[in-house]
Amino acid sequence: MAAFFDVSFLTVQVLSALRQAAFLFLISSGLTLVFGVLNILNFAHGSLYMLGAYFIYALTLHLTGPAGFVIALLAAPLGVALVAVVIEMGLLRRIYIQEEIYQLLLTYALVLIIHDMAKIVFGPEFKSIPKPRAIGGAVTIFGGTVPVYTLVVVVLAPLVALLLWYLLYRTRTGKIVRATSSDREMADALGINMSALFTLVFAFGAMLAGFGGALAGPARTVFPSVGTEVIIECFVVVVIGGLGNLWGALVGSLLIGTLETVGIIVFPEFEMSFIYLLMVVVLILRPWGLFGRPLKVKALAEKNLGMEAQEISPVHFSVRPLVRMIPLVLLLIVPLFAGRYYQYLLTQILIASLMAVAFNLLLGTTGLLSFGQAAFYGAGAYTVGLLATKTGIGSLSSLLLAPLVAMVVAGIIGFFCIRLSGVHFAMLTLAFGQLVFAIIYKWYNFTGGDNGIQGIPVRPLPGGIDIGSNLSMYYFALAAVAVAVEILRRIRSSPFGATLKAIRENNQRAEYLGVNVKLYQWTAFVIAGAFTGLAGGLYALMEKSISPDIILWTKSAEPVLMTIIGGIYSFAGPAVGAVVFIVLNSYLVAWTENWALVLGLILLAMVLMLPGGAVGFVNEKARGAFGKMGWVRRWAFSKSGAS
Amino acid sequence: MGAPMGLLEIRGVVKSFGGLRALQDVTFSVGQGEIRAIIGPNGAGKSTLFNVMTGLFPPDSGEVVFGGERISGVPPHRIIRKGIGRSFQITNIFPRMTVFENVQVALFAHHRSSRDPLGMARRYPSVAAETLDVLRQVDLAEKHELSASILSHGDQKRLEIAISLASRPRLLMLDEPTAGMSRFESRETVELLRGISREQGLTLVFTEHDMDIVFGISEKIVVLQQGAVIADGTPAEIKANPQVRKAYLGEEIQA
Repeated sequence: MAAFFDVSFLTVQVLSALRQAAFLFLISSGLTLVFGVLNILNFAHGSLYMLGAYFIYALTLHLTGPAGFVIALLAAPLGVALVAVVIEMGLLRRIYIQEEIYQLLLTYALVLIIHDMAKIVFGPEFKSIPKPRAIGGAVTIFGGTVPVYTLVVVVLAPLVALLLWYLLYRTRTGKIVRATSSDREMADALGINMSALFTLVFAFGAMLAGFGGALAGPARTVFPSVGTEVIIECFVVVVIGGLGNLWGALVGSLLIGTLETVGIIVFPEFEMSFIYLLMVVVLILRPWGLFGRPLKVKALAEKNLGMEAQEISPVHFSVRPLVRMIPLVLLLIVPLFAGRYYQYLLTQILIASLMAVAFNLLLGTTGLLSFGQAAFYGAGAYTVGLLATKTGIGSLSSLLLAPLVAMVVAGIIGFFCIRLSGVHFAMLTLAFGQLVFAIIYKWYNFTGGDNGIQGIPVRPLPGGIDIGSNLSMYYFALAAVAVAVEILRRIRSSPFGATLKAIRENNQRAEYLGVNVKLYQWTAFVIAGAFTGLAGGLYALMEKSISPDIILWTKSAEPVLMTIIGGIYSFAGPAVGAVVFIVLNSYLVAWTENWALVLGLILLAMVLMLPGGAVGFVNEKARGAFGKMGWVRRWAFSKSGAS
Repeated sequence: MGAPMGLLEIRGVVKSFGGLRALQDVTFSVGQGEIRAIIGPNGAGKSTLFNVMTGLFPPDSGEVVFGGERISGVPPHRIIRKGIGRSFQITNIFPRMTVFENVQVALFAHHRSSRDPLGMARRYPSVAAETLDVLRQVDLAEKHELSASILSHGDQKRLEIAISLASRPRLLMLDEPTAGMSRFESRETVELLRGISREQGLTLVFTEHDMDIVFGISEKIVVLQQGAVIADGTPAEIKANPQVRKAYLGEEIQA
C-alpha cells in the first residue's frame, strides 16, 4: 500500500486515469448527443471512432512534421463527419419512423460493414501512428515519468468539453439541440427543421468520435475491431451517466477511467468485471442513470397507429399441423444421406434455431430486446461442461440440468432488468451478460478461464444409446430441439402467449386489463433463458469443448440477427434466420475473409426493404399468389385468430 | 355524516408534481349506477385525478375508496381486478392484433386464464363466444377479423370501450370517450354507454369536453378548477351555479 502514497506513482496513475477518461468522454459525448436528439443508440459510433484513427493513420503517411500532424488531427474528424452525413441521409433517415430495434440493427449492420471495409482497405494488422517528435517524448512530473502525449490529451479533452458547452448553451443552434433533446414533439411543433437538425447532430457526434479516434490513434494502436471494443465501454459510460445527458457522459467517463486504472493496480484479475458491475449497480439504484430522467417515450400504440403504411403485419394464419410435419420429416431423413460435415452443420443449425426461437419469445412476442442471451447460453454450456468433466454424471442428466441453471440465472438477471424498458432494458441485459462473461473468463480455478473446458466427455444415454458420432448427436439434438420448439410454439399460441403479445403491443393497456405486466415479462424472460440454456448445453455436447467466447456480447447479437433476417412476427422466422446465418457463416468463411461485410449488407437490406423478415415477405407473397390457387391455401393453411 | 356511502369515494385527495399542485383536497362521491361527469378547463386536473383513481400513481395524501375498500396506492392491475374498467384519452388498444384478439385477451385476463402457458388460445370456446358477445354490444362483431390498426378512429374508441367492458366492471372510467369522433359517432357512443349503464347497472365516471354530451347524459357533475372542486351537483344545479359560469362555462350553457 505504501506505493499508493508515493507522489510520483500517484501522479502517473492519476494522469493515466485522466487520459483514459478523456478518450472515453470524446467518444461518448457524441454518442449521448446523438441519442438525445435522434433517439438512436448508435452501435456504429465505435466504428466512426475507428475510422478517425485510420484516417489520421492514412493522412500522416503523407503529411509529416508537427504541422502535418495538426492538419491530420483536424482533417480526420472532418472526414468522419462526411461519412456520417452519407450514413444519415442515405440510410438512417429512411427508418426514423420504425421501431427502435430497426434503428439499432441498422447501425449494427454498419458496424459489420465498416469493420470489413477497414480490413479490406487498411489490412487486418495493427497499425501504429507516429507522433511528431515534439510531443513524442516524456517528461518528469513529481518524479513520475509521463508521456507528453498524455498531457496533450488531458489538456485537449477539457477544451473540447468547454467548446461543447459553449456550442450547446451559448448558440442558437445549441439551444435548439437541447430543446429537441428534452422534448422532441415540442421542438417539432415549433417548426424546427428536423431533418437538417438530425443530419447536423449526427455528423457532429461522428466528428467527436472521429476526433477521439484521431487523438487516440497515436497513443494506442489501430486495428479493425478497435471500434467494437470501444463501443461497449462507451455504452457503459453513457448508460451510467444517463442516456442523452452530456454531463452524465463526463461523469461516467471519469468514473470508468478511474475505475479501470485503479482496477488494474488493485485487482488486476477482475479489472473487466468492475465496469460492468458498476453499471449494474448504478442501473439497479438509478434505472435511468446518474443524470438521466425517464425517457418521454411515446406510447408504442400511438406510434403504431400513426404508421399504418409501414406496418409490419403479424401473420394471421397458421400452417396446418400436417404441413408443419414436412420440415420435421426432412430433418429426419436428410442427414442419413449427408456427409459427416453436413451432419455437424445441421446440428449447429438446430442449436442456433432453438436459441433464436427462444429469443423471439422475448422480442417478437413480448416486445423485449434482450442483448444478454449469451449469458444463459453460456450458463447452459458451462453447466454441461463442468458437470461432465468434474463428475461422472450422464450426458442426458447434465443436459437436463442446463436449462434449470440458466433459468436461475435468468430469474436473477430478469428481476433487475424488467424494471427498465426499451434501450435501457437492452443495455442492462448487455451489462449483465458481460458481467457473466467477465466472471467466467477470470475464474480460472473453476471455469478454466480463457482456456475454457476441453475434452468434454459425451456419455451414452440411458439404455446404452451412444451419441458420440456426428449422426447420433444430430438425432439427439433433433429430439431435444423438436420438443423444446414445440413447447415454445404452444406457449406462443396459448392464452399466456396472447397476453404477452398484448404487452408487446401496449403494456399500459395490458396493465389495465388486470395483468401484472412486470411479472409476465419476467416469466417470459425466464422461459426464454431456460431454452437458451438448453441450446447452450447441446452446444457443449456437440463441440465437446467450450470457451468463454460463447458468452461474449457478440454471441448475444446472433439470435437478434437471425430473428431479424428470418422475421420477428412469425414463429418459424427465427429458425429460418438461423439457417441463413449458419449457412452463410460456414460458407462465406471458406469463401471470403469478409463474411461480416456480406452479413452486414444482408442485414442492411433486410432492415431497409424487408422489415418483416424473410418469412414475413414470403407470407405476404404467399397470400397474393395463393389467392389464385385457393385450394393450395386451403390445404396448407388454416385461418386462425392467433398469430 | 350518516349519508349512505357511494360506490366510489374520493376523500381529500392531494397530488403535486414538483412545485405544482395538480389536485388540492378533492372530495366527492359517486353512487352505485350513477353516470358522473368530471369537467373543468384544460389543466384543471381531470387527467391527474383519473390517474390517481386508477392507480397510475398514488395521491400525496387523501384516499380513494371503492366498494368500501381503499384502492389508492394499489397498482393498476389489482385495481382492475376489483371491478374497475378504464379507457384512455388517447386511443389505447392493441393495434397489431385483430379486433377479436383485443377483446379475447382482456377476457383471458379477466378469467385468469392468462396464466395458461400450454393450452391453445383457440381452444377456449366459452371465451370465444363471450368475446363475440362483448363485440356485439359495441357493434363491432362483424369486424372481428380485422386488424385493430385499420379501424376508423370511432371504431377504435369503441373497441377500447369493449376491452374495458370485457372484465365486467362495476365501475367504468372513461377519459374523454368521444375525443376525436365525428358528431354522429359521438352520439352513437353516448347512446351505447347510456344503454349499457342502464342495462347492467354499470356506474360510469367520465371526463368530456363536449358540453352537449356532459349535460345530455350525466346525472351528476363535478367541476374542477386549478385542481380543486368548485361545484358538485346535478346538471341543473351546475348550470345555475354562478361560480361555474364565471370560471369555466361562460356562454356555453345558456344555449
